[in-house]
Amino acid sequence: MKSLQQKTLLRKLLLRHRSNNRLWAALIALCIGTTLLLLSVLIWWNFREILSGRGSNDSLGGTFLTVGKKVTNEKMGRPEMTLFTPQEIDAMQGAPQVQDVGVLVSNRFPVWATLNTTVAFSTEMFLEAVPDRFIDNRPVDWIWTPGNRTVPIIVSSEFLNLYNYGFALSQGLPQLSQASIQSLAFDLKIGRGQLEETYSARVVGFSDRITSVLVPQTFVDYGNKLFTGRETFPPSRLILKVKDPSDKLFINYLETRDYTTNAEQLRWSKLRTVVDAVASATGLLAILLMGIGTLVFILFIELTIARAQESMALLMQLGYSPRYLGRFMLRRFLPLMLAALALAMWLVMIAQYMAADKLKKMNLTLPHVPGWQVWAALGVSALVLIAFVSRAITRTIK
Amino acid sequence: MRLSLEKLIPVPLKDRINEYNSWIWNQELVFNSGERISIQAPSGTGKTTLIHFLYGLRKDYEGRIYWSAFNMSAINAEQLSQIRASYVSVIFQDMRLFPELTAWENLEVKRRLTNTVSEYDAEKWIERLGLKDKLDRPARTLSYGEQQRVAIVRALLQPFEWLIMDEPFSHLDHANRQRAIALIREVADHHRAGIILADLEDNDFFTYSRKLLL
Repeated sequence: MKSLQQKTLLRKLLLRHRSNNRLWAALIALCIGTTLLLLSVLIWWNFREILSGRGSNDSLGGTFLTVGKKVTNEKMGRPEMTLFTPQEIDAMQGAPQVQDVGVLVSNRFPVWATLNTTVAFSTEMFLEAVPDRFIDNRPVDWIWTPGNRTVPIIVSSEFLNLYNYGFALSQGLPQLSQASIQSLAFDLKIGRGQLEETYSARVVGFSDRITSVLVPQTFVDYGNKLFTGRETFPPSRLILKVKDPSDKLFINYLETRDYTTNAEQLRWSKLRTVVDAVASATGLLAILLMGIGTLVFILFIELTIARAQESMALLMQLGYSPRYLGRFMLRRFLPLMLAALALAMWLVMIAQYMAADKLKKMNLTLPHVPGWQVWAALGVSALVLIAFVSRAITRTIK
Repeated sequence: MRLSLEKLIPVPLKDRINEYNSWIWNQELVFNSGERISIQAPSGTGKTTLIHFLYGLRKDYEGRIYWSAFNMSAINAEQLSQIRASYVSVIFQDMRLFPELTAWENLEVKRRLTNTVSEYDAEKWIERLGLKDKLDRPARTLSYGEQQRVAIVRALLQPFEWLIMDEPFSHLDHANRQRAIALIREVADHHRAGIILADLEDNDFFTYSRKLLL
């Protein structure tokens, strides 16, 4: 006689009543539910990824903020009230979302910039310095030591825009490209009278992050000490590295202390609320859909078992244990469930790949592969699904 | 494995038990392993009910049934399946084959559960009972006599310490009955197993150690 496998016999007894249409419907429902669930986690994760400033996303201004104290009518004429005390700087280190704090040190000595070209040009100006770790796209020659005759300068790209689109157009002056500015050499005169010193200065870069004219910290410290005799001054502005500037706790922290920041950065807060709402709504709908998918799948399994009830009962009379039969049923349906989940994950990976490509054109860097949170969501939904289905099988086979 | 019956009374027959003098209902009985027991049970005395109680298919009784330490009214499904697969085998009066499976598939469902009897032995036994040509036929197309012989061989395709039979030869002619008895005796001897055979009439199918009237 031909040899027969036990599982072949059991399949013949227990699964011959299976309706393939219902099975497909259940699997599709499960797949759509899981895809939506994973997509909602993906949306939330991507937004978080942009805000936390991994990759080059900090050029959005999302992760670096300059903070000052609001100048009110009471504080006018009392500059000491807009300066940060060491205690306030320490407190800022511990503020929600804040990862790093740096001080913006400004010059306490007169500075004149003079351009010696065919058109003589001279203006008074200010300088500021920040610790090097806060500078985006730091140039290799960003260094100054006492004795150096050349001072590198980084200008806010905002200033160039103001000049090109505001000042130059209205005054009939030529508009300037970044490259043309970098090729200009001008003189920097600091101090007055006997102590006056002249340096050659050159713009070596532009910053999207800090709205100021920056020179190396050593230069400002040197000038301040030379002309005032003091080494340190309390700063009027701080630069913060912030994990998520849209966090409500962080915004509250700034508001309660009357600190101001680039309002532009905080629009993320509103966007965050919208994205949160969208992700929550999608998530809720997805959980609902996945619940329905799971329910349809469980009903399908229960129906299959109910239709094979007579065979099931006789198998148990012959000595087959309910646990063994339950495992047999689970093993039949588990690969199908996992395939539906794998398909959902595959769709989500494609979505992530396409999103990353599209956002790259907008200068936003996102990973091409979803993060662990999305994989964790997949793992948790798989575990919940397996738990529900095994429970349903155990309860049905008695 | 010892079988103990303590004051066993079937609930549906409770009111009628005292009308006749049963040697089993409401008695204290112990059957030791290897015993051969004949239970003569006239119609309506609860023969099949008793077999179902012993095999754990019904629990509507008072008193207690013990297979060794296992109390059949408190046993869980996993323990029950273990007892059925390895210690107590049964031949039902109504055969209980899978009608959609062939005769051979019906045997294989049982044999593959424990894999303790070889495919060769199974084929040899079914051949001895004259069913070699019917193995590929669906069970529902077999006659009662043929189905009964398949059910007999199926009950032997597992290890057992007790074989419980409910009118096992009711559909067999004399020659087939003798062949079936010889096979059962041989396999039961091999396992040193006890036998409980319930039938309507007194019989001498086996050499019984006890004959009881239900």
